[in-house]
Amino acid sequence: MIEFRDFSYRYPTAAADSLSSLSLQIPRGQFCAVVGANGAGKSTFCFAASGFIPHFFRGEAHGSVELAGKPLAEAEFGSLAAEVGIVFQNPFNQISGARFTVREEIAFGLENLGVERGEMQTRIQLALEVVDLVDVAERSPFELSGGQQQRVALASMFAMRPQVLVLDEPTSQLDPRGTREVFRAIAALSEAGTTIILAGHKLEWLAEFADRAILLDQGRVIADGDPDTIFAMETMGEVGVGRTQFTDVAAAAQRAGMLKDHAALPVTLAQAEAFFS
Amino acid sequence: MNIDIRSVSFRYPSGQLALDNVSLSISKGETLALIGENGAGKTTLVKQMNALLRPTNGRVDVGEWDVAEHSTAQMARRVSFLFQNPDDQLFARRVWDEVAFGPRNLSLSEPEIEQRVNRALDRVGLLDKAESHPYDLQYTDRKLIALAATLAMEAPILVLDEPTIGQDARQRERVASILQELAAQHRTILLVSHDLDFCARTAERVVVMAEGRILADGPTEQVLAENEILDQAAVIAPQLMRLSQALKLSPPKLRVDDFVDAYASRKARPT
Amino acid sequence: MQAQSIYIDHPSALHQLNPLTKLTFTLVFLVAAFALPNAVALIATFVLILVPLAASGGLLLPLLRSAFWLVLPFAISLALIQGFFSPGQTALFSLGPFTMTLEGLGSGLTFAARLLLALGGTLLLMLSTRPDKLMLALRQRGLPESLSYIVLTALQIFPRFQERARTILDAQKSRGLETEVGLLRRLALLVPLIAPLVLGSIVEVEERAMALEARAFSYKTIKTSWISLEDSRAQSILRAAILFFGVVLVYLRLTGFWPQ
Repeated sequence: MIEFRDFSYRYPTAAADSLSSLSLQIPRGQFCAVVGANGAGKSTFCFAASGFIPHFFRGEAHGSVELAGKPLAEAEFGSLAAEVGIVFQNPFNQISGARFTVREEIAFGLENLGVERGEMQTRIQLALEVVDLVDVAERSPFELSGGQQQRVALASMFAMRPQVLVLDEPTSQLDPRGTREVFRAIAALSEAGTTIILAGHKLEWLAEFADRAILLDQGRVIADGDPDTIFAMETMGEVGVGRTQFTDVAAAAQRAGMLKDHAALPVTLAQAEAFFS
Repeated sequence: MNIDIRSVSFRYPSGQLALDNVSLSISKGETLALIGENGAGKTTLVKQMNALLRPTNGRVDVGEWDVAEHSTAQMARRVSFLFQNPDDQLFARRVWDEVAFGPRNLSLSEPEIEQRVNRALDRVGLLDKAESHPYDLQYTDRKLIALAATLAMEAPILVLDEPTIGQDARQRERVASILQELAAQHRTILLVSHDLDFCARTAERVVVMAEGRILADGPTEQVLAENEILDQAAVIAPQLMRLSQALKLSPPKLRVDDFVDAYASRKARPT
Repeated sequence: MQAQSIYIDHPSALHQLNPLTKLTFTLVFLVAAFALPNAVALIATFVLILVPLAASGGLLLPLLRSAFWLVLPFAISLALIQGFFSPGQTALFSLGPFTMTLEGLGSGLTFAARLLLALGGTLLLMLSTRPDKLMLALRQRGLPESLSYIVLTALQIFPRFQERARTILDAQKSRGLETEVGLLRRLALLVPLIAPLVLGSIVEVEERAMALEARAFSYKTIKTSWISLEDSRAQSILRAAILFFGVVLVYLRLTGFWPQ
């Protein structure tokens, strides 16, 4: 479990807190979506949940973030990687550049952890299967599409067997095919029991897979709960996140006096279809 | 000023055929979205329009200019380009100078440059940050600086490569309204984007590409309803198109207001 | 984008050799390139030792091709410069005030032959050895991990750098930057081209550093390795023998056993 305890953080040269007084728990195995406008604190949330704050970014932190009851700030940064994985926006920059095939690339993290070769073999094979990359295992990661490269990053993390995997806008640079591939791979990792914290804008995908959504605005949690409820909230628009067009048309129809006033607004296609018929 | 692309093929030095006999005519004032997955040839195609790449076969005309006879710098007067990643072009220490770079290359008068830069910065909402260092701003603001730099060229044709990537709802809204304004001024806009919901509401015409060929070309509502073609191009139809289809709303409606109106009139109709 | 290294995969004994053994070969070729006395000895070493080694690894053609294109321009300019400007008595022909002498030409060609042998020796190693295996071998001999990482990634990231440079040039040309200008004005072009490259790289380096941390790069343990290196007693004897040969060459050279 990850727990934020009255956690605040300010970047070294910043005038204001990027996160202020966050208190929340993310239980083991949960798929938690973090949404908010750009600048609302999504990336900072990801860095705090993975220990990059305070180990990589200096700045000023108050309160604590704990993993299974132990403050991340007190953990040794090098060994944290074995417990919390993180995947970033740009797939290309996550390739180590020091290995020649996808299989070896996944091995890179395991070598750093000192995993024995036999064990490595098992873990890599499983990771390749979960993210559906078995076919390209012997190719150079540089030759792959963005979606495939991002799945290499996912597999590299998964093979390290972290309890928690944090993803900071993992599909924002990808085309629709890549986005679909990556969301499916993330869902598979979630199925396998990994706790997922995913910051992003793609509500339609998040609504399909996430168990919970946290809405951030100016470094504060302004809503926390069921994704379908949160994503349909009027507040989403007010804080610059925007809703799916399914929600927008349903809300407009309601405003125009059509349809049941008290029905929950839809977020996904299936819900919208039910709503309008 | 029309764009006329006639039987253009393009082969990279590596031997890869990126464009295979592509023909496309774009009239002045059109807003056209070019969609398809990465590697489909979209960027290769738009780069033919300002001579960044020159066709292996075929010919491109922009207005009465044969692009083959002009340099990219010359083409900049007619075709203004926004690249996907702002960090591939920002170099100045002041936002203002960054936006002024293009107009200065056009050898405009100082007052004219000043006007254009202020107008462009105002349009993207960054006038109050004109004195900042671009790299002191967020990535999303840097993206808007690059857009302002493109606007300041005031070219009749704009090519925008993924203008909404990584942007949130508010910024997408801003970009959409800028596009509307440009369209009202009869500028030609070529939008290269994976953001189909955005394309659906801003473009009147859509061209679908796959493997260096054009699979479909026509009015937005019509092209985005072609499920098989979108499937072949590995793109996913915009949300309102999928909802229109699910509710058998015909013709489909891709803007929220249109959708609600159409739905209301259908409900009012006795069945 | 391709993974960048000039390594060519081929099932051969040469490829199977421990990288250190091949590195030893290369070192001695480098030593020989400067210790051997004349073009004949140099060319003989190249043809009788280096060429068969390369051929055994199926690398003869790539090696000769690369060596040819890299050495040729130097060979020609060296032959001309030395031929015209070194002292010598046997005049071959004159060009205006300059006279080409046989001795000068000879010393130019000898220099080119040294270059050929040195380059051939290096190419032999690079063509037959995966850079990560070479780095692993060096790491096992005490090369710091971070240094080997830097060397390796530099090899792979360089093409990316070139690609970005091209995109930046495209972006600025699209903003009306005229690149077909005189030398002086060309200098003024550098800022809009270099600044994004540098600034963008700083952003990229930070991202890479973070991604590396996420892969437990700074985890304190004895690292394991996915790839394994073959080594044998025979190979260490071979290495010792080659090294001894190299030392002998240096000795002969230093003691003036060979004439200049």
